[in-house]
Amino acid sequence: MAEPFTITEHTNLALATIMARKGVDPAAIEAALADTQLIPTGPGTWLAVSYCDPPPYPGEGRGPVPTPDLDPGLRRDTLKDLASVSDQSGGYIVYRFSGPAARTLLQRGAFIDLHPSVFGPGSSAVTVIAHIGVILWQADDDTSFDVALFRSFAGSFRHWVEASANAHDRHPDESRDPWDPQV
Amino acid sequence: MRIPCPFCGNRDTQEFVYRGDASPTRPDTDEAMHDYVYLRDNVAGPMREHWYHAQGCRNWIVVTRDTRTHEIISAEFPR
Amino acid sequence: MKRFSIFSLAANALSGHRKWAPTWRDASPRPGYDIIIVGGGGHGLATAYYLAKVHGITNVAVIEKGWIGGGNAGRNTTIIRSNYGLAGNGPFYEWSMKLWEGLEQELNYNAMVSQRGVLNLYHSDGQRDAYARRGNAMRMHGVDAELLDRDAVRRMAPFLDFEGARFPIQGGLLQRRGGTARHDAVVWGYARAASALGVDIIQNCEVTGFVTDNGGAITGVETSRGTIRAGKTGIAVAGNSSRVAAMAGLRLPIESHVLQAFVSEGLKPVIPGVITFGMGHFYISQSDKGGLVFGGDIDGYNSYAQRGNLPVVQDVCEGGMALMPMIGKARVLRSWGGIMDMTMDGSPIIDRSPVDGLWLNAGWCYGGFKATPASGWCFAHLLATETPHETATAYRLDRFATGDVIDEKGAGAQANLH
Ligand SMILES: Cc1cc2nc3c(=O)[nH]c(=O)nc-3n(C[C@H](O)[C@H](O)[C@H](O)COP(=O)(O)OP(=O)(O)OC[C@H]3O[C@@H](n4cnc5c(N)ncnc54)[C@H](O)[C@@H]3O)c2cc1C
Ligand SMILES: [Zn+2]
Repeated sequence: MAEPFTITEHTNLALATIMARKGVDPAAIEAALADTQLIPTGPGTWLAVSYCDPPPYPGEGRGPVPTPDLDPGLRRDTLKDLASVSDQSGGYIVYRFSGPAARTLLQRGAFIDLHPSVFGPGSSAVTVIAHIGVILWQADDDTSFDVALFRSFAGSFRHWVEASANAHDRHPDESRDPWDPQV
Repeated sequence: MRIPCPFCGNRDTQEFVYRGDASPTRPDTDEAMHDYVYLRDNVAGPMREHWYHAQGCRNWIVVTRDTRTHEIISAEFPR
Repeated sequence: MKRFSIFSLAANALSGHRKWAPTWRDASPRPGYDIIIVGGGGHGLATAYYLAKVHGITNVAVIEKGWIGGGNAGRNTTIIRSNYGLAGNGPFYEWSMKLWEGLEQELNYNAMVSQRGVLNLYHSDGQRDAYARRGNAMRMHGVDAELLDRDAVRRMAPFLDFEGARFPIQGGLLQRRGGTARHDAVVWGYARAASALGVDIIQNCEVTGFVTDNGGAITGVETSRGTIRAGKTGIAVAGNSSRVAAMAGLRLPIESHVLQAFVSEGLKPVIPGVITFGMGHFYISQSDKGGLVFGGDIDGYNSYAQRGNLPVVQDVCEGGMALMPMIGKARVLRSWGGIMDMTMDGSPIIDRSPVDGLWLNAGWCYGGFKATPASGWCFAHLLATETPHETATAYRLDRFATGDVIDEKGAGAQANLH
């Protein structure tokens, strides 16, 4: 790809799915969690994202690699009668794509329109890339995106990233990149 | 064919799982069970049908679609 | 009927191929027939032919709303095989295979029947066991079957991706007598032979309703070219079965779904037979003209549109690339779709209907081309004798009520999963 992008794995995210209890107004939950980043994933359901450092790694063969603990705001009684909360910190892996070509790369995999006029700061979507379900959102005002997927699909997803990033470099006769916004 | 999910917006059908005609309702009697399980109107024209947005908001959606043209007429949550 | 032979070919070559007679008579409807067959696909025409040939019933019309062979008969991927596992299916499809083996002599028509082999690949121990069981069931019904290991598959098809594939090939179930036949030649061959025996083939004539007597029995059809009386009416309209049956007040255990197929530009011979990759929803063969003919799963939603959508195009191409990466170099020439009459157990129906005078031939799903000869044979037998042919006794309409379903896949009552 003409322009670069970088991909990094978040290691300091605590994640949880929030599901509204029957009859609860979603607005009440959003109000109760005003300080937490909420990615809407369906009517009355969200992925809650917060940053905090994981506990120290206990060492090889001494139990699993730890994931960050749930946001204290979610664990307290705040949501008791409003919503169910389940910890997903270990279930999802979240990648950060940034750089001028990040949007182009993601557009090669997603069926939704990621053009900045319709997918800008604050936009998010639950969709699919290379048969792998993803939750993706724009993470800043510019060119950074976060992509959450089930952790066990990480290898397949990385395979797609590599294949897509190199897609037009393989055939010298077809090196022009029709997706490249520069062209 | 793109389905306008009431929550997610216009999405490729690849994100959905198809279940079929939305009209049959589970009967109370054993006699009616055969018709419910096996027989279909197999409508040629606008048909109300169940689609599940598996790779999206994970909701069931009732889509009205013309089976002769694939034109999507409406999409709504069942309740 | 002028017989085709080397002499007729030579004589016509000398006159610049301008003196060939039309292959069959394009008939206009007469007021009535002993038997009317609705649907001029392979099944309808084969039925008419065997009614005349085997049962001596020649006062027969085949009524087709468009042109003969314009439906699935002219849209399929031409695979013929009899590699079924269940007792209800095995003898029927093997009878069909036997009829294929003698078809060209029987019809004096080159249907390009080519027994180049059908190979179903397996990729896991479980799949191998299932194919071993199926192969054993086939052999118990007198059908040829061989279980190949990986090396034997590699010798047959060295171009498959044996290294590093997501689903490594472990072997395959091979039916050497399976293969392909030229689909429209089958239609034309049956049409010509039936027409020569006196059958009226009536095109551009759509059945729009049924004529009934006071007792509710069907005594003819309403068509776009007028009313035609019939002693018996048989329907063989494939993807339109529910629509035509509904005109007689019937609801069938059928949904109509679209299946797509693809053909590439002509290439030198490369694919030895038919290869199926069930794990990746892909199958392929090569036509005598050189085109790679391939396809995959049905689109999965009800449709009468005779065209599919892009997700399945993508899925089929991904399957092809996974199985044989070299296919990426070929260019797709055309793709198209046809409407399948998918039943709730994936098996067909050849039976009398609950309405007197109306007989059913339906539910062929995506596999009815191979059945064309036996379907015609058995439907003709049923119409003529009012008893099912011995190889088709299981294809009853009431099997869904009695629990005697014939579900090769074990998928249950969900039409788009068969
Ligand atoms: C893409 C594709 C690939 C396939 N591949 C294979 C394969 O490899 N092997 C295999 O065994 N099978 C295959 N099949 C399935 C096979 O083609 C069908 O099961 C079989 O052709 C159906 O029988 P038919 O030939 O009589 O149907 P058709 O040719 O569809 O005949 C039915 C006829 O009825 C007519 N008709 C409908 N309504 C009316 C009416 N109201 N009045 C008058 N006429 C009417 C239609 O115009 C049509 O010509 C495939 C099908 C498709 C679409
Ligand atoms: Zn949705």
